[in-house]
Amino acid sequence: MMSEKKDPRKTFGEALVIAGEKNSKVLAISADSSSGSQMTMFKNKFPERHIEFGIMEDGITGMCAGLATTGKIPVFATIAPFVTGRNFDQMKVDLGYMKQNVKVVGRCAGLSYYHLGPTHQSLEDVALMREIPGMTILNPGDPVEIKAATLAMIEHTGPVYMKVGSDPMPVIFDESKYKFELGKGITMKDGKDITIVGTGTVLCRAAEAADILEKKGISVRLINIHTIKPLDNELIIKAAKETGLIVTVEEHYTSGGLGGAIAELLALNHPTKMKMIGVEDQFGSNGPYEELIGLYGLLGPQIADTCMKLLEKK
Amino acid sequence: MQKITDAEELELKRHAVQLRKDVLAIIKAGDAGHIGGALSATELMTSLFYKVLKNIDPKNPKREDRDRFIMSAGHKCLIVYAVLAEKGFFSKDLFNTYFKINSKLPGHPDMHKLPGIESNTGSLGHGLPIAVGMGIGLKLDKNPAKVYVIMGDGELGEGTNWEAAAAASHHKVDNLVVMIDRNKFQLGGLTNELMNFEPLAKRFESFGWSTRSIDGHNFKEIIDNLTDAPFEPGKPSLIICNTLKAKGISFLEDTAGSHYWKVNPEQVVQAEKELDAIAKELG
Repeated sequence: MMSEKKDPRKTFGEALVIAGEKNSKVLAISADSSSGSQMTMFKNKFPERHIEFGIMEDGITGMCAGLATTGKIPVFATIAPFVTGRNFDQMKVDLGYMKQNVKVVGRCAGLSYYHLGPTHQSLEDVALMREIPGMTILNPGDPVEIKAATLAMIEHTGPVYMKVGSDPMPVIFDESKYKFELGKGITMKDGKDITIVGTGTVLCRAAEAADILEKKGISVRLINIHTIKPLDNELIIKAAKETGLIVTVEEHYTSGGLGGAIAELLALNHPTKMKMIGVEDQFGSNGPYEELIGLYGLLGPQIADTCMKLLEKK
Repeated sequence: MQKITDAEELELKRHAVQLRKDVLAIIKAGDAGHIGGALSATELMTSLFYKVLKNIDPKNPKREDRDRFIMSAGHKCLIVYAVLAEKGFFSKDLFNTYFKINSKLPGHPDMHKLPGIESNTGSLGHGLPIAVGMGIGLKLDKNPAKVYVIMGDGELGEGTNWEAAAAASHHKVDNLVVMIDRNKFQLGGLTNELMNFEPLAKRFESFGWSTRSIDGHNFKEIIDNLTDAPFEPGKPSLIICNTLKAKGISFLEDTAGSHYWKVNPEQVVQAEKELDAIAKELG
């Protein structure tokens, strides 16, 4: 487990080709982003279904909505902040309010652009997308899940935002047994002392923390949330009731993302002690990826330490 | 070019005055509304829905071969509501719900509330990109339908329009016909004083569009040109339609103040009298 690593963008690109083979309505939409988003495979296989628009993300989002009104399923993939923050009005109106069947993939999401700084990092993308009624938000946690999520978002009717990182991701799941169900979390470990909820690029860090804690005799429940909206309310409330302590782990601001969504849910349904691990209210810094996520306590051993401190107070 | 006869032109003028009366009736129900742009675009809308758009069917508003129409300047939606009701997409009884709770006639159009609306607009600069996407989608399917758009001149400041203008030309979206309702005013005053976009035709031509300029209240000119598109094969078509804001109501005509009109009962009576007089003159 977790020995093999794969490029998440390449995994997405390969899955998009499969989606394109299954459904002739699927289009790949590029903002000079096909190579960076690994849609070149799709372009080579279905050149007539690949549309290049150059760098104009706001306009492209609207054009995707227009394409969708004619029955197409545009998949628009580029750097995450440019398809969530920059084009927010188009995401809200043309995809959300108009309920158009467009799939937007924010790649190199979170802190993936570790050297390039806040303009290219997306620590607010989930928070923004959560505020759009009807928007599904996917944040798959390993290559197997990226493939499954890509195929599932095409099957789903309605606007979807999917977040994909860029650093090689360890393979966590056994593809032969893995089943993706949109809106349903996955309990990876059952436990009663604490629940760690991980998502996306740092699911593997949450899993590493769970392993460290188990070796210390802690009974950890590890939940993978690949669909942040709609959230698996039932699974989260059950974990809160049964473990009494929830720690969320995400490459996002500690407000507004997975942690924020769970805090809102539990405040109304089962107030529970919580800790969100992610970036606090500050712009992301820059530097080598491992060191950068370490600044925000997102490495496995750091997550385990944070959990231990919380357990001591429990 | 499709010429229209004098008799057809008279008939269109009668429709136009009725549509203006409908717009006034809607505004009366809500005591306020964006009247100026609705009335400057009335002849354009009359031409589209009575002469130009193909396969528009209120009984089957989603038929695949229909021409699409998008009112990019969504605040001009009162003229859209008026023409869709006159064409039988919904009952004019809905006019009385305007500005009431949960009305199907909001101040900007919602495609999920009314049949015949192709796009939700209101936030400016959205209609043209959506129309370009529609045009490309139709061409991919070899669907001969065209996409018609009315834009306001004030909305030209939104950068997405220029993104879409470049994309339409690059991808040879020649099933796209855009009318700019050049009434020369926006909320705060004269469009050219707030932000100048002249020479407008040359700007679009430099983006690869084929352009014409017409009197946007003259049915013969409107229909001759609309039915002549694409003006050049492989190019999107732009028609600058020179119009008067709030055309048809003397005390509002050609004023920035008509952009959003908060009515008083005496003014409504006067406006109704003026429109009735025009209708009477047309017979």
